Amino acid sequence: MEGASYQRFPKVKIRELKDDYAKFELRETDASMANALRRVMIAEVPTIAIDLVEIEVNSSVLNDEFIAHRLGLIPLTSERAMSMRFSRDCDACDGDGQCEFCSVEFHLRAKCINDQTLDVTSKDLYSSDHTVVPVDFSDTGAGFENNEDQRAIARKGIGKDHAKWSPAATVTFMYEPEIHVNEEMMETLSLEEKTSVVESSPTKVFGINPHTQQVEVVDREAYTYDDEVLKKVEAMGKPGLVEIYAKEDSFIFTVESTGAVKASQLVLNAIEVLKQKLDAVRLSEDTVEADDQFGELGAHMRGG
Amino acid sequence: MPMKAEAQARVSGRHRLTPHLPCDPDYEPLRELFSHHIHSFDHLVEYGLEKALMNIKPVEVVDPNTKLKLRNILLLCRQAKISYTGKFLVDVCFKYGDGPGGAVIREKINFGQFPIMLKSKLCHLRDADHQKLVACKEEPSEMGGYFILNGLERVVRLLNVPKRNYPTSMARSAFRNRREGFTDKAVVIRCVREDQSAVTLNLYYLSNGSARVGFRIRGRENLLPIGLVLKALIDATDHEIFMSLISVYNDKYEKAKGSVGTQILSERAKIILNEVRDLSLFTRIQCLHYIGEYFKPFMDGMENESHSAVADAVLREFILVHLDNNHDKFNLLIFMVQKLFSFIDQTSVPDNPDSLQTQEVLLPGHLITIYVKEKLQEWLLKTKRQLQEETKNRKKNFEFGSLADVKKALDKNPAKQVGLSVENMLKTGRLVTQSTLDLKEKAGMTVQAERLNFLRFVSHFRAVHRGSSLAGLRTTSVRKLLPESWGFICPVHTPDGSPCGLLNHMTASCRITSYYDSEGIIRDFSKIQKSILSVLVGAGMIPALPKLVKAGPPEVLHVLLDGRVVGAIPTDRVEKAVSHLRKLKLSATSAIPEDLEVGYVPISMGGAFPGLYLFTSPSRFVRPVRQKFLPPEGNNNIELIGPFEQVYMEIECADGGNGGRLNEFPATHEEIHPTGILSVVGNLTPWSDHNQSPRNMYQCQMAKQTMGFSSQGINCRADQKLYHLQTPQTPIVRTATYEKYRIDDSPLGTNAIVAVLAYSGYDMEDAMVLNKSSVDRGFAHGYIYQTESIDFADEKIKSDRGQRVFRRNYTKTETHSFIDSDGLPYIGQMIKPGEPYYSTYNEVTSKASDARLKGSEPAIVDYVAVDVKNKKQLQKANIRLRRGRKPVIGDKFSSRHGQKGVCSQLWPDVDMPFSAGGSLHGNFVNATPFSSSVKKPDGTPENESDSLVDELGSLLTARGFNHYGVEVLYSGVYGTELTCEIFIGPVYYQRLRHMVSDKFQVRSTGTVDQVTRQPIKGRKKGGGIRFGEMERDSLLAHGAAYLLHDRLHSSSDHHIADICSICGSILTTTLIERQKKTMRETKGLPPAREPKKVTCVSCQTSKGMETVAMPYVFRYLAAELAAMNIRMTLQLSNGAGA
Repeated sequence: MEGASYQRFPKVKIRELKDDYAKFELRETDASMANALRRVMIAEVPTIAIDLVEIEVNSSVLNDEFIAHRLGLIPLTSERAMSMRFSRDCDACDGDGQCEFCSVEFHLRAKCINDQTLDVTSKDLYSSDHTVVPVDFSDTGAGFENNEDQRAIARKGIGKDHAKWSPAATVTFMYEPEIHVNEEMMETLSLEEKTSVVESSPTKVFGINPHTQQVEVVDREAYTYDDEVLKKVEAMGKPGLVEIYAKEDSFIFTVESTGAVKASQLVLNAIEVLKQKLDAVRLSEDTVEADDQFGELGAHMRGG
Repeated sequence: MPMKAEAQARVSGRHRLTPHLPCDPDYEPLRELFSHHIHSFDHLVEYGLEKALMNIKPVEVVDPNTKLKLRNILLLCRQAKISYTGKFLVDVCFKYGDGPGGAVIREKINFGQFPIMLKSKLCHLRDADHQKLVACKEEPSEMGGYFILNGLERVVRLLNVPKRNYPTSMARSAFRNRREGFTDKAVVIRCVREDQSAVTLNLYYLSNGSARVGFRIRGRENLLPIGLVLKALIDATDHEIFMSLISVYNDKYEKAKGSVGTQILSERAKIILNEVRDLSLFTRIQCLHYIGEYFKPFMDGMENESHSAVADAVLREFILVHLDNNHDKFNLLIFMVQKLFSFIDQTSVPDNPDSLQTQEVLLPGHLITIYVKEKLQEWLLKTKRQLQEETKNRKKNFEFGSLADVKKALDKNPAKQVGLSVENMLKTGRLVTQSTLDLKEKAGMTVQAERLNFLRFVSHFRAVHRGSSLAGLRTTSVRKLLPESWGFICPVHTPDGSPCGLLNHMTASCRITSYYDSEGIIRDFSKIQKSILSVLVGAGMIPALPKLVKAGPPEVLHVLLDGRVVGAIPTDRVEKAVSHLRKLKLSATSAIPEDLEVGYVPISMGGAFPGLYLFTSPSRFVRPVRQKFLPPEGNNNIELIGPFEQVYMEIECADGGNGGRLNEFPATHEEIHPTGILSVVGNLTPWSDHNQSPRNMYQCQMAKQTMGFSSQGINCRADQKLYHLQTPQTPIVRTATYEKYRIDDSPLGTNAIVAVLAYSGYDMEDAMVLNKSSVDRGFAHGYIYQTESIDFADEKIKSDRGQRVFRRNYTKTETHSFIDSDGLPYIGQMIKPGEPYYSTYNEVTSKASDARLKGSEPAIVDYVAVDVKNKKQLQKANIRLRRGRKPVIGDKFSSRHGQKGVCSQLWPDVDMPFSAGGSLHGNFVNATPFSSSVKKPDGTPENESDSLVDELGSLLTARGFNHYGVEVLYSGVYGTELTCEIFIGPVYYQRLRHMVSDKFQVRSTGTVDQVTRQPIKGRKKGGGIRFGEMERDSLLAHGAAYLLHDRLHSSSDHHIADICSICGSILTTTLIERQKKTMRETKGLPPAREPKKVTCVSCQTSKGMETVAMPYVFRYLAAELAAMNIRMTLQLSNGAGA
């Protein structure tokens, strides 16, 4: 075991990239890496979100906590977040979280002057820092005869602490499927049977080539590992007609961002955070010691 | 111009949340559910009271008349914890002299404040539309039907009572104990007068072949021979009575189908007549005289009347009181005797008093009517006594002729008590009467209409109770779900446990007949009865009067209209007559009411006693079904049918099964919808026909415990406790009932993505894992609103009343951040446990004090209301506190299918399983395994081609999902595939009101009981949970002696007692106080512990003092025994076993 290197060199291939959406392939690594990346993207990439609300006047129909909670959930543009300090670690303000290094101040003033209901949205929120502003358009609340006057402090945080700091709307990956169609066996089938095989999959994975009338894989990635086709083939008494495997080392990631960070940046930030975490593990001199301390358990955890 | 559109939205802000619903809300279906309460009360105030007052026996020279006035103080009531009442004025007429020439003096007498039902004709919100209701700070959907008393909303419970004016044959072993010679068989009829007061008449069968008429006067049962009553009613010869009694027997039809008479009948008739002859009573006058003589002492105010007048009064007031013609009474009694004998001879089976067929419902208005009548009668009698006393005394110049003097005398018997007693009855639900009002129940007539959520509130008005007197019964026969209640009583919606089957709920389509027709016009029953009679005569009925009926089944069938024998109809013409009547029921032009019950009991071999029983009376159950035999002209083919007639009707159900009906009995009617058998709450469970049956029952209970929008105007309410869900949704899967009854106005849950799997072990045994990130984003966040009403003018100790006022304590500046200058808290202020939230000042003792928040949970001041009306000082206030409740471990949730579970973990988003498609983006994810409780319903027909699974499965497949709704998920922790298919999809989830924060109970040390020194009980007081006998047994069984000792001794009332080994007493030892030595203290050292000096008082020595560890209760036992002069001695020894 000693000395053996498990180092691999994962490859990334970007398929699609938008501001709030990214799709890429991650190859030549295993599930632990892929999942770690996913977890970090959801829970540990820092963003900025409103964390403290001081309400001066609130005569709306919504109560203070409700409004404060909703303010917290507004995604704020958080490009600065990586370089900002956590207010708990901030030396400049002794951790009271109200200085420019660790916080951004917002103001919300809204008053309804007629007898109609006034919609109060994130557009009514005024930031003290032009780099940290609400993403697009989102509701905070609406009230009849509304009068709100509040000061809000936004701080850096991570999704682990509260979902409002999570930059990711969705991060999932799937194992790349490998689909083999036994052409020889397929030839023995009638067109009807072929169609039934094709249609047994709820998603459009297979198709029939109109020219050759052969069953082809149309969209490999539409396959959801539902085994429907395999069951169908089995039921037809032709096991091995179609074989599907999941590639153990190829993953297709789908990343959707809330808009706080661009999807591409989210991935890069996640890798950065992951690196930092690994560095923390490597640098810690206690680890070996701790392993010793745990004795057998430690050995077990190392895989021995 | 998208910009402009957006700007407009910003100003108007009116997003249509329910675009599929009509703009103008229609609350009519909802209000219809409550109508029986309101109609009955309307009748009370419009006619019922008048009728009741008419029927009150005029005392001496008094005859009253009614008028009601109202004051409008509705909203105020809820806030100020007072009652919504109106002034109850009665015109009391004084009439002097006997003859009609005597002058009548009308005088208004105030009978106090009379509670008013909301939305009744006296309520000022009666015709308010939803905008006005909102302006009055009421619910836009306000349905009324309840009373507001002391700020609490109370409903009168509907009670099942025997069907009025229908003779029921039954066997009860209790009848045997009436007298010697009685059997267990009788025919019972509950006769109801026009003013709703009832008298039950029993006709008992005696083992000698005769029968006795029994009725109660002030709780005591009086029995009269049937022959005597028959003779006293009309002038009839013995022969006539004999012929009437045996008229149902005809040897031609002996043992034929439908024959109810037997040969023994004539023997019995002879016995009946001989009984009267044996009393040497031959004429009607003699009979009346005999009855009058016997009953004179029981009849109030008839002391000076003649015997025959008393007898007339008895016959009028106790015998078949729903009829006022003696001929009618005679005929009905004959009919009852015939039914009784038929029951004895087993030519007919008894009726089931537990079935809905022989039941109706006691409505709130009717209950109050009879209660008021009773109270007014009492008042009149009391007044009469008072006046008599005054006139007797004569020492003051009391002039009977002068009205002023009479009024003065009346003041001594305050008339306001009447209004007060009605209010008290509604407040407590207890009937305080001397007579029983012919009811079995005395308590529990009203309940609080809790607004825990909308469904619970509605259910209070749709519930029908069988009577709490049956709750203690060991037999379960009364709780049975009988087929007779099909369509009227929901088979699903009844609670588990002790009220199971006794507290039922009406189906959504079930209605109660009232005095008002569908247009809201009062019914004229005499007119209705007349037109029914003419229809019947036209259909071939031979009228009963003036000729006595001389035949019976199977030749002719008796026709009873509201408990009156109106004639007989030949058996071959009856079916035609019935269908003709049914047709006329639907016709708008005929005077036949739409809810006429045509109870046609056909002839049979030993079945129910045949006859044609027609009912027009109010407070019957009715439900709509579709008539099939009528050509659908005018579209109206919906007939209202009752439970009595339903049993003999052929109704098919649209579900296609046709219930195994034979071709010989073609269906004449059709159910409108298969879900018509379910209550409002039962109807809200989607696909309930695919559930295991008890799950639907559980859901009906749980729906009523769900947190939701209990009220639209929650900011205007001052309920003691209200639950509120912050972000509810309407379910994705809905039934039509949701829209009909506007359930979306008060939603009850959230749509959550639920995966059914075993993941992490935190989901075993009905537990579930919530996504913490969803909870962070607001999933199932709730609030509890609690209102504290403080009124210093109404304190417990009388002497303290009105002394305290709200005032800020100016010397105590540290409380100023909590308490405003008026002594009340700031709105929006958060208060932590132990912090003050209002302060008071006692003006007499000059003592200031702060009220501090109890419990272990912070609260936020939501609202403060003060009462400054007619008071200089601030003494009355409502403080509403708000407590946020986000889901925590231990909170209870459920789906709509009786699947409840407790949240066992809040897992972060990253740890939850995810799907490759990303459909599971983690908004609301619960992993809920239903472990054992999900069972596939057995016996699902295999051949059902359009089964729900296939129907929905194809929909799923069309959208790229698996046919069965399963998906492949990946472990959130490892990123690897979970090697099984997992059922996943959106489920409407309800948050139930049971939350750990209200229930957890922990204690390490704390308060102990003063007497026993054992830990106290009670969560509020910081007490412990009893380690009881069974727990002890379990520890003993395990041999866990140390733990046992720890629980029962060390952690309880461990005590070291000094015992005198000489006399063996633990009570005589006493501690001797030593004089303190100050020497050591001066040196600045702590005093050394000195040995305790204990002596025995009785032995006068310190020798033989020993210390023994024991439970403190043991010492208490010794003390208690000593108080009874029993000495307890202890023998001490060292070591074990000695």
